[in-house]
Amino acid sequence: MNVLRRIGLSLFAPVLAVVVAVLISSAVMAALQVNPLRVFEIMVDFGDTPSQQVTALVVVLNRAVPLFLAGLAVAIAFRMGLFNIGVEGQYRLATILAAGAGAAVALPGPLHVLLIVVVAMVVAAIWAGIVAVLKVTRGVSEVISSIMLNVIALGVASFLLTGPLRGSPEGASIIATADIPESGWMPSLNGVFGLLGLANPPRQLYGFLVVAVVVGVLIGVLLNRTRFGFDLRAAGLSPSAASASGVDSRGMVIKTMLLSGAVAGLIGMPDLLGSTHSYTTDFTSGLGFLGIAVALLGRNKPVGIALGALLFAFLDRSLVPLQIQDFPASVVTIIQGTIVLAVVVANEVVRRVARRSAERGSATGAAVAGDGSTGPGQAASGAASIGGGADGGEGTGAGESRTTGAGQRSDERQETGA
Amino acid sequence: MATAGTSGGPASTGLTTDGGGPGGGTPLAVELRGITKRFPGVVANKDIELRVRRGEVHAIVGENGAGKSTLMKTLYGMHRPDEGQILLDGREVHFRSPADAIAAGIGMVHQHFMLADNFTVLENVVLGSEPTRGGRLDRAEARRRTREISDAYALGLDPDELVEDLGVGDRQRVEIAKVLYRGATTLILDEPTAVLVPQEVDELFGNLAELKREGLTVIFISHKLDEVRKVADSITVIRRGTTVGTADPKTTTARQLAEMMVGTELPSPEIRTSTVRETPVLQLRDVTVAAPTGRPPVDDVTLTVREGEVVGIAGVEGNGQAELVDAVMGLRHLAAGTVLLGGDDITAWSTRARREAGLGFIPEDRHRQGMLLEAPLWENRILGHQTRPPAVKGPFIDRRAARADTARIMRDYDVRAPGPDTLAVALSGGNQQKLIVGREMSAAPRLLLAAHPTRGVDVGAQGAIWRLLEAARAEGMGILLISADLDELIGLSDTLHVMLRGRLVATLDPSAVTPEELGGYMTGARTTAGAA
Repeated sequence: MNVLRRIGLSLFAPVLAVVVAVLISSAVMAALQVNPLRVFEIMVDFGDTPSQQVTALVVVLNRAVPLFLAGLAVAIAFRMGLFNIGVEGQYRLATILAAGAGAAVALPGPLHVLLIVVVAMVVAAIWAGIVAVLKVTRGVSEVISSIMLNVIALGVASFLLTGPLRGSPEGASIIATADIPESGWMPSLNGVFGLLGLANPPRQLYGFLVVAVVVGVLIGVLLNRTRFGFDLRAAGLSPSAASASGVDSRGMVIKTMLLSGAVAGLIGMPDLLGSTHSYTTDFTSGLGFLGIAVALLGRNKPVGIALGALLFAFLDRSLVPLQIQDFPASVVTIIQGTIVLAVVVANEVVRRVARRSAERGSATGAAVAGDGSTGPGQAASGAASIGGGADGGEGTGAGESRTTGAGQRSDERQETGA
Repeated sequence: MATAGTSGGPASTGLTTDGGGPGGGTPLAVELRGITKRFPGVVANKDIELRVRRGEVHAIVGENGAGKSTLMKTLYGMHRPDEGQILLDGREVHFRSPADAIAAGIGMVHQHFMLADNFTVLENVVLGSEPTRGGRLDRAEARRRTREISDAYALGLDPDELVEDLGVGDRQRVEIAKVLYRGATTLILDEPTAVLVPQEVDELFGNLAELKREGLTVIFISHKLDEVRKVADSITVIRRGTTVGTADPKTTTARQLAEMMVGTELPSPEIRTSTVRETPVLQLRDVTVAAPTGRPPVDDVTLTVREGEVVGIAGVEGNGQAELVDAVMGLRHLAAGTVLLGGDDITAWSTRARREAGLGFIPEDRHRQGMLLEAPLWENRILGHQTRPPAVKGPFIDRRAARADTARIMRDYDVRAPGPDTLAVALSGGNQQKLIVGREMSAAPRLLLAAHPTRGVDVGAQGAIWRLLEAARAEGMGILLISADLDELIGLSDTLHVMLRGRLVATLDPSAVTPEELGGYMTGARTTAGAA
């Protein structure tokens, strides 16, 4: 009963959000004189023949893998309360350097792939590490520094692509790094279709899917089952309580950003190892920012992020068929945007409902016990009301020294707003 | 004047000098009748009677936690009383928000300034109720009115100076100007002298005299008795949530006031058989904590806690206790001095290493430092014990063991909650605190640092926590107890130090000291050299 209720609550938010998003985007499309029903029909139409349908599935999965990794990278930092907006720059820089490294050496198969992946992870981790070091030593907000490092990373990437790492001939329409030799390619998973008795599509299903799943499981275990993960989440839930418990908050910022960056380094790998084999001017971009949306959608939990990545990938797949049917591609962007907005709102609503039901759950017990419940009732919105809570009890100095400050500040806001 | 005379005590008629004269005809500027405010489980204010005449400085004194702030929040419309009436100039009012209170002419100067540092004085004063012309800030008008207020009350403000360039005293005057700008006729000053140095305090009192001369009413909240006697025209004393009387500052001594503040009830927590052993568990030697500016919050503190000993630190809030706690926990760097736990010099150790070496911690603000509110109880059981059994197995969290041990704590320490998976936020303050106490006790620390262990908990939980501390002490645990509750300090401590302005100014025998004497030492009215 309790478990059912919890699952119900955790599914409720995303489902509600998607429904609301579909309604809103339908309204927008209708206003733009696009027939929403027709659009949705094209979206779910995976083709007539089994081969077409499997191909569509492969396209969705191939797109979902990097989105999932991007979501994961963002979520790791999020769980500690850090906003890693720099995922975009981290993976772009990592990918071009990994492509360069991969093209420069010749190694036996698995080692070659491993080298490329390790280079990518290390580069992205270092790039994210800069953000962490700036934050810890100089107090620079990670939001600001990671945005700026994004710009620098993209600049450096273009410089490398047009300069030292250029592999395409002079005058080619698309500039690219030199191709990675075949020993550095990742085999596809298309054999699986044969085993499942499905048609073997012309598209290659990225072998990196397996890596992504493993990484997802590892991160899930790390965050939820280990001491390190506990420290990380504690620091995210309450930095002050975490440091009082012995978590070294500065060290935690650095470790978390390095980990987030290392995962970000993997984002470009599915495409690089599975299809393009070189970094080009039109290499997939924007995944870092989409990752933020996917992480929000998945509430920073690996399974949720996987579902969010699949949803976004599903929406992205319909871009081509929609354009073939003369629909504007922007409808997909509209839907994605409204989903993200709706998810943020729905998450908040569900969080409050869950919290209120938790409080009510024990309120009866507390009432029987004749116990005060000022703390929880008042603490619902953080520092502001903790002051009230402390005052409500025989609360003494804390209420007067630190916390009431916050409480009064919010009242001040009320007052000026009124 | 239907309820006249209910507050008893020596009423200070005849002291008022403003027009209208004493007695019948003139309604009081502020009158509170029977104000009661309950929060779930506690009564913060009970049957408060307050009568403030127009044009006087009226002080409200009481210990920390006596209910002064709750009362002022009621008067300022930040919450509504459950019972009782608020009368302004004889008419009953009902405030729904501070905006209502402001409209009725009540202004609040908060203890912590709420100014935008990178704005000028003028901008801060008008912020939120700007005079506009054609939708834009009318600077000329704003400047004229700011000047007018500054001149009328001798605040000496330069409208164009940046607030970040101002000293603390000037900032406070900006806050006062802000309130006056909004048309306040009754000003509430919440612990205004807490942040000021003595010369600034004198300047502030000059300003208050100016306000009084212009016919404004000032409600002055403080627990510094000497200041109150210097500035107030009349005094209302609050103890344990209710008004215990009024006093005339001209005829009342600081000692009498302290007695009214503290009451004369005997302390309920009592330890009388000494369990103090020889071995020291915690030694602080010349510990100094530096602040970026001003005097060090902890100044040259030396103390020893032995096995089986409770060492109490008494002091008015903000005299360095919080910084001392941080220093012992390793959350703050020492400017000088050493900290020894057992025989180990732990001065350079991390917080985690200190905890692993046997330092238990009950923080003063459990929501900030003691709990993860949005996490289940079993995760809160792990907090602070991430590296020790039973909660961990190697690098992994042992969820089952953590849940089982949480269930044990809930049983043994009477934590009332549905189960280990309940979110911590769902528990009452008392139950949260019992979980923290149980968690820290379960690790069998050598030294327990207990900062305000019974703050904000109901009476039942308070008694339970006291008994737990007594039992732990009997088993040989050393306890460093920081508290603002004098009964708690006197009742539990074997040795009692008084902390004032970062220093330990007196060491007292708790079996021989009365709360009044202790209160005297805490406010500096008494010194070890002799009574004031």
